[in-house]
Amino acid sequence: MQIFIILGIPFLLAGASLLIKRPKSLGILNSFGYLVILLFSASLLKEIAGGSSPRIFFNFICLDLLSVFFILVIAVVTFAAALYSIGYIEKDIIQGVISARKARVYYLLFNLFCCSMFFVPALNNLGMLWVAIEMTTLVSAFLVGFYNKKESVEAAWKYIMICSVGIIFALLGTILFSYAFSVSGLAKTFNWSEMTPVAHILDKNTLRIAFIFILVGYGTKAGLAPMHTWLPDAHSQAVAPISALLSGVLLKTAIYAILRFGIILIRGVGFAYFAHLMLILGITSLIVSCGFILVQKDLKRLLAYSSIEHIGIIAIGFGLGTPLACAGALLHVFNHAITKSFMFFGAGNIVNTYKQHNMRAIRGVIQALPFTGIMILLGVFALTGFPPFTIFVSELMITIAAFRQGAYWVAALFLLLLAIIFGAFIHQFGKMVFGNLPKGMLRAGEPLSGKIAFLFLALIISFGSIAFILIKKDFIWMAQKLFLL
Amino acid sequence: MQYLNLCSVLVLTYLMIIVKRAPALIRNFCFQSFFLFLATLMIAWQERSLDLYVIAGLLFVLKVVFIPQALHRTIRKIKAHEDIGLFINPQLSLLWALGFTCLSWELSRNLVGLNDITKTAILAVAFFVVCAGIFLMIFRMTALAQIVGLLVMENGIFLLASTVAGGMPFFVEIAIFFDVLVSVLIMGFFVYRINKLFTHIDVNKLSRLKG
Repeated sequence: MQIFIILGIPFLLAGASLLIKRPKSLGILNSFGYLVILLFSASLLKEIAGGSSPRIFFNFICLDLLSVFFILVIAVVTFAAALYSIGYIEKDIIQGVISARKARVYYLLFNLFCCSMFFVPALNNLGMLWVAIEMTTLVSAFLVGFYNKKESVEAAWKYIMICSVGIIFALLGTILFSYAFSVSGLAKTFNWSEMTPVAHILDKNTLRIAFIFILVGYGTKAGLAPMHTWLPDAHSQAVAPISALLSGVLLKTAIYAILRFGIILIRGVGFAYFAHLMLILGITSLIVSCGFILVQKDLKRLLAYSSIEHIGIIAIGFGLGTPLACAGALLHVFNHAITKSFMFFGAGNIVNTYKQHNMRAIRGVIQALPFTGIMILLGVFALTGFPPFTIFVSELMITIAAFRQGAYWVAALFLLLLAIIFGAFIHQFGKMVFGNLPKGMLRAGEPLSGKIAFLFLALIISFGSIAFILIKKDFIWMAQKLFLL
Repeated sequence: MQYLNLCSVLVLTYLMIIVKRAPALIRNFCFQSFFLFLATLMIAWQERSLDLYVIAGLLFVLKVVFIPQALHRTIRKIKAHEDIGLFINPQLSLLWALGFTCLSWELSRNLVGLNDITKTAILAVAFFVVCAGIFLMIFRMTALAQIVGLLVMENGIFLLASTVAGGMPFFVEIAIFFDVLVSVLIMGFFVYRINKLFTHIDVNKLSRLKG
């Protein structure tokens, strides 16, 4: 029952943004709505984790552990983004960047965007899943081009075009999956709850070809290299809370789609095929992003490339294919979502104060924005996998799994690239945070709602690792159950 | 009769690859959608299914009437240059198209074998139409040609779905139509914006974001 509340609230909030005139009260209402969603999705996780088989509602919505886990990830990040939006949009209105009317448009699009993302993990029909993912692209394109500058419109165009083409391949793959079904003499279906149990009798050749299309299609949306070209543009040009949503959860919905098809593929043709494809794409993403992070000058693009890196890490985790690695990858989905949105909030505050993205010109953040400065320093360590933060735990799990499995080359390359990226991040952010404040810069105020969003995420990032170590067994069990290892 | 439709789709796709002007491109797209509509209508008549009649009707309204009209209007309104900007000249494009045809034949033969030759042929045409769409998107410079390329790809997928997989569930099909409509509207909106900000719609010249 909770799922209908989770899917319904964003709709109601979207309606509210048409009625309520004051942006600030709208923002506060928004945050309350997403808080309710967060609570309900936590209770949903508890309920589903207790049962063994997927729960189906009207043959339209189907929930198992994987989908509920993704719903929880989306709920956490959207709540933080809703909180952060209040202060951010308020500031934009005061500075005259946008009008009060446009702020309402922002909230409308924000809610539609979140709504389409909540639908992705909940749907049973793989065709509808495709429609939901395409919807996320279409709605968020407006949010990428929100400021209506030359750069942002260019980014929005690239985003909408590349992702639409990519996603058409995914539709082709979906149709071929269903074709594999009809070749095997079974009744035609698009529901994953019906496909998964009989996957082992499906036509293997068709499944293999179909999964390539799925991987190219949803991989474009997930930002796996070499299909990542839209990602840095869109993520750097979007409104800051939307950048957080794009990086934090939009990429994860595409990962969810890949996993959904992956599970059917694994049961049909075994793990090796899936694992090899994921490993190749994961390592390519890591290498490509590492190169661009080293030479990056633009703050938000740096974070965008870091997203490609982390998506690569997730892909490597699933590619290694032991229960420990898969559990690590699932945890990494959560950790990256939280940490990256945290960093984008920080970057949003910095860009808003310094009025530019160029990292060479941003100096002395800790003097101009003391709170953000401290938080972003914490975030850099968390993002690059320093203990005791959560990303450290999931990266460690993946590394251990790689060594245990005897994939020494993968492990060595993985650690080397992570070390390089760590160095690059410390170098870039060290100068930005501690350097001398540019002349004429004053200390800027930081809105309360932004601070609450920061603290909420910082709490999870810092203390989540303890919780993860406690529930590690459950996660490994979950991964084992999902992927039939 | 179904073969005739299939041939028409094939020929029109070839024409789309070699045309140089935007109105011609859109007109060819309109005809292609029309033959797709005819093909769907025939299947609907054979199977006497109401769902397929509805889908055929939607296809006609959306892809034969509404979208081409909207695209024509966009051209008139932004007063853009009619040239769609070829990276590759028509002769070479034709060679590419021939290559695509062979490739899609191979792919479809691999996928369904040669037992049912009609099915293999339809699948090959569908793959070819998808390839042609990608080709249009990559090797034509204006934003408008890219939109048409995307629509052509979608036509190919539609052909594939309706013949090979025996059609998608009715609900999904409607959702996808809705999706196509919304995406064309949004892309049209962005074409206006690009034209307003940059005073051209040459996507090749959008190169502010790098690295």
